Amino acid sequence: MSQDGHHSVVIPAPGPEFVPHTVAHHFDTPVQEFQAAKLGFWLFLATEILLFGGLFAAYFYYHDLYPETFKVGGQQLDWKLGAINTSVLLLSSWTMAMGVRSAQTSQKRKTLMFCALTVVGAAIFMVIKFFEYKAKTEHGLFVFPHMFDGYQVDTATMTGSLPWFTDVHNVMVDATGAPLPHGHLFFAIYVTMTAIHGLHVIIGAGLILWVMKGVAKGRFHAGYYLPVDLVGLYWHLVDLIWIFLFPLLYLVP
Amino acid sequence: MTTQAPVLDTNKSHSEQPKHYLNCSSGFWSWASTLDHKRIGIMYLIGTGLAFLAGGLFALLVRLHLWQPDGMLFSNDQYNQIFTLHGAFMVFLFVIPAIPGSLGNMVLPLMLGAKDVALPRLNLLSFYLWLSGAVLAALAIAMGGFDTGWTFYAPYSLYTNKAVVTIGLAIFMLGFSSIFTGLNFIVTTHKLRAPGLTWFRMPLFVWALYATSLLQVLATPVLGITILLVAFERLYNIGIFDPRLGGDPVLFEHFFWFYSHPAVYIMVLPAFGIISELVSVHSRKPLFGYKLIAFSSLAIAIISFLVWGHHMFTSGQSTYAMFAFSFLTFFVAIPTAIKEFSWVATIWKGSIALNSPMLYTLAFLIIFAIGGLTGVILGSLNVDLHLHDTYFVVAHFHYVMMGSIALAFFAGLHHWWPKMFGVMYNETLAKIACLVIFVGFNATFIPQFIMGSQGMPRRYATYVPEFQPYHSASTMGAMVLGSGVALMVFYLVASLLTGKKAMQNQWGGVTLDWHTPTPPPLENFAHAPKVTTEVYDYSTLDLKSTQTPIG
Amino acid sequence: MRAHAHNDGHGHGALQMGHHHVSSSAMFLNVLVVLLILTVVTVGVSRIDFGPANMLIAMLIASVKASLVILFFMHVKWDTAINKIVFLSSFLFLSLLFVFTLADQATRRIDHPMHVTKAKVSKEWVYPKPAISEKH
Repeated sequence: MSQDGHHSVVIPAPGPEFVPHTVAHHFDTPVQEFQAAKLGFWLFLATEILLFGGLFAAYFYYHDLYPETFKVGGQQLDWKLGAINTSVLLLSSWTMAMGVRSAQTSQKRKTLMFCALTVVGAAIFMVIKFFEYKAKTEHGLFVFPHMFDGYQVDTATMTGSLPWFTDVHNVMVDATGAPLPHGHLFFAIYVTMTAIHGLHVIIGAGLILWVMKGVAKGRFHAGYYLPVDLVGLYWHLVDLIWIFLFPLLYLVP
Repeated sequence: MTTQAPVLDTNKSHSEQPKHYLNCSSGFWSWASTLDHKRIGIMYLIGTGLAFLAGGLFALLVRLHLWQPDGMLFSNDQYNQIFTLHGAFMVFLFVIPAIPGSLGNMVLPLMLGAKDVALPRLNLLSFYLWLSGAVLAALAIAMGGFDTGWTFYAPYSLYTNKAVVTIGLAIFMLGFSSIFTGLNFIVTTHKLRAPGLTWFRMPLFVWALYATSLLQVLATPVLGITILLVAFERLYNIGIFDPRLGGDPVLFEHFFWFYSHPAVYIMVLPAFGIISELVSVHSRKPLFGYKLIAFSSLAIAIISFLVWGHHMFTSGQSTYAMFAFSFLTFFVAIPTAIKEFSWVATIWKGSIALNSPMLYTLAFLIIFAIGGLTGVILGSLNVDLHLHDTYFVVAHFHYVMMGSIALAFFAGLHHWWPKMFGVMYNETLAKIACLVIFVGFNATFIPQFIMGSQGMPRRYATYVPEFQPYHSASTMGAMVLGSGVALMVFYLVASLLTGKKAMQNQWGGVTLDWHTPTPPPLENFAHAPKVTTEVYDYSTLDLKSTQTPIG
Repeated sequence: MRAHAHNDGHGHGALQMGHHHVSSSAMFLNVLVVLLILTVVTVGVSRIDFGPANMLIAMLIASVKASLVILFFMHVKWDTAINKIVFLSSFLFLSLLFVFTLADQATRRIDHPMHVTKAKVSKEWVYPKPAISEKH
């Protein structure tokens, strides 16, 4: 609502291929709307950081408790694939930042191009992730098809076994060949962390596709590019999390 | 504060009077798709109110069962489910969401001179997340319930063959409802204040909700990840909390209490905010120590993140961690005491009106003093080693959660009832109900302090006969408490059907919420109010408005 | 106030919106190159074993990369103070979870030593005398 309390503020379209934006009625100015939405979104990102942070806390906790298991476990991961994925995400962060910039400068086609490239980056990331998970299944380190089979207890020998951790090549052993304590734990945490991250990659890609729809309709331009900006922030967060995940899981061990 | 021109037009007949938020549109869909913070507040009020009554019913079942030492109603397994339901419903469906969701939603934008919260669609989403949490909780009961206690500790929550994942999902939804409400309130407070409304002219209820919102945003996500990890443990055995698989159950407790301790401040800070408003209005006197109270809310919020280990003194964490947690726990008493003293100092030599909101407030001040002090006792490491998991703890948290928070909620409900609905309830019945609740409450929980200190463990379906007198007394008190609550529900509902018209400014408040028409119109303010005076300046009060009925 | 599109890379929004900083393409590209270089550094440094400092060094380099993404890609360098505070507080409070939990775990072993001291237990307690009647 404008200061006189009656009309909504309208931001005019900067060109014929764009449409004007009507500021929400409970805001007095576009600046207020922009800053309120941005602050709200940063608060949401803070919650995501805390949610993922919990997983990192669990990682550090068990890394401290079972250092050998984590060292050997990390060596089973392919650091080259991890490095490629890191570069892919960094590049996609760059294309997303360029996409936001193009929206800020009302360059419709460039905005669409950069957003599309970002989605391509997301797709490449997920494909590589798929191959990594496939390798884990083949090596018996996390057999996805048996994921939900439950912990089996053999009451005769009082031993337990996890159907999804078969360690086909017997890699989770220490120098003497004895099994490392709780070898499955590293891979459980690895899969949990990367899967939740992967879910956010997919959600981010979906959001970017939604934004592209709006860009194509001319809704986003120099006068109003808020959704592009906010989705961009989400995508950068996804990149941020991976920046920490990669060395932690693949390199430190 | 400047006064608002009343929208009442004496030249028009009643049916031509301007519409307000309740009757400006009708029909199920107008409510289900509303973006109006006031209507969302009403929906929260109904939802959390029903959850409170359900949780209360479970409580009465618990107390009835404990009438006899070998348990009167249930098997041990059933008893575990009943007290779990009582705790889970109360904590997650009522105490955490009720005040911010209902009174906060209703009053915060009004107090800021805003037309709505900053993100109205997110507000509606928050409500639907609450609703989905409630539906999932009901579903979990239908699927066999859960018997882990509201704290669903590992490893039992990993092994029990109950609907743990379902209730976990419910709590996850409720958590996000809480996060989004907090997010919304923070943005609203920063960005939608009326011209002239500086931070130190904001009513203290706003400060309290702001501090609460910080906690909601920063602490709740850790509960989210905890629930996810428990669900993953149950679904595919990751081994993160399961000792059979190398996990550490104490890690679960760290994760759980990292949220759940700030959570109790999420519960109590809004209650403190209500009390701050009410002691001022009903003594017609500015708050003593306004800035101290404002900063103490922030201090409590920050300190609350440093003390969670005091719930874990017997869990096996390191002695050094326990020293640290116990030491830090004492600090939270300081800002809390500042509030209690400031409230009493506000009332001192004020023009005290002993109406029902004020009676609930006075009851709060007495009960909270006991609740808070027993908290300090429990924070002492050496004493807690004996009192942990006894009825002493149960009595302490009921003194703060029921006797303080719920009572503050009732106080706020009575205080803003005329503003929300334009009607007044039966004041005599309200005073009676307050007295019955006060007596019943203390009768229920004082015996619990005593038997707790003598070693009666909590969450036990049966007990040694020595404790029977205390349990019986407590159960009788619970019946009295329950009837007081029932009476309160009765006259409040009755007021909606046959209540007298409220005054334009029923109690003589001077904050912006009392400057809107009663009930407020959809847009709250026809013109953005401009604030030129300090916040609790009663010299600006128009006494006529306290004696002029609406409509 | 007119809003108009530019194709020269120096756009500015309608003045009624307030000034919005638009980063230059060159700046973004520079940041990307530094990030990719730092990724190579991360991998390279991990090949050297610094012992217990491995984790710290890896996290430090990751933090530098993260700061670049945050300040430049996410625009925080030109953002309002409150957004910066919100973002920093999330890390601050997260660190509380890390510190207390890890400290608990690390100091637990100090007073619950599992295999450090051997308690002196008398043989009589461990192997009680047989009952006299057994002999006959």
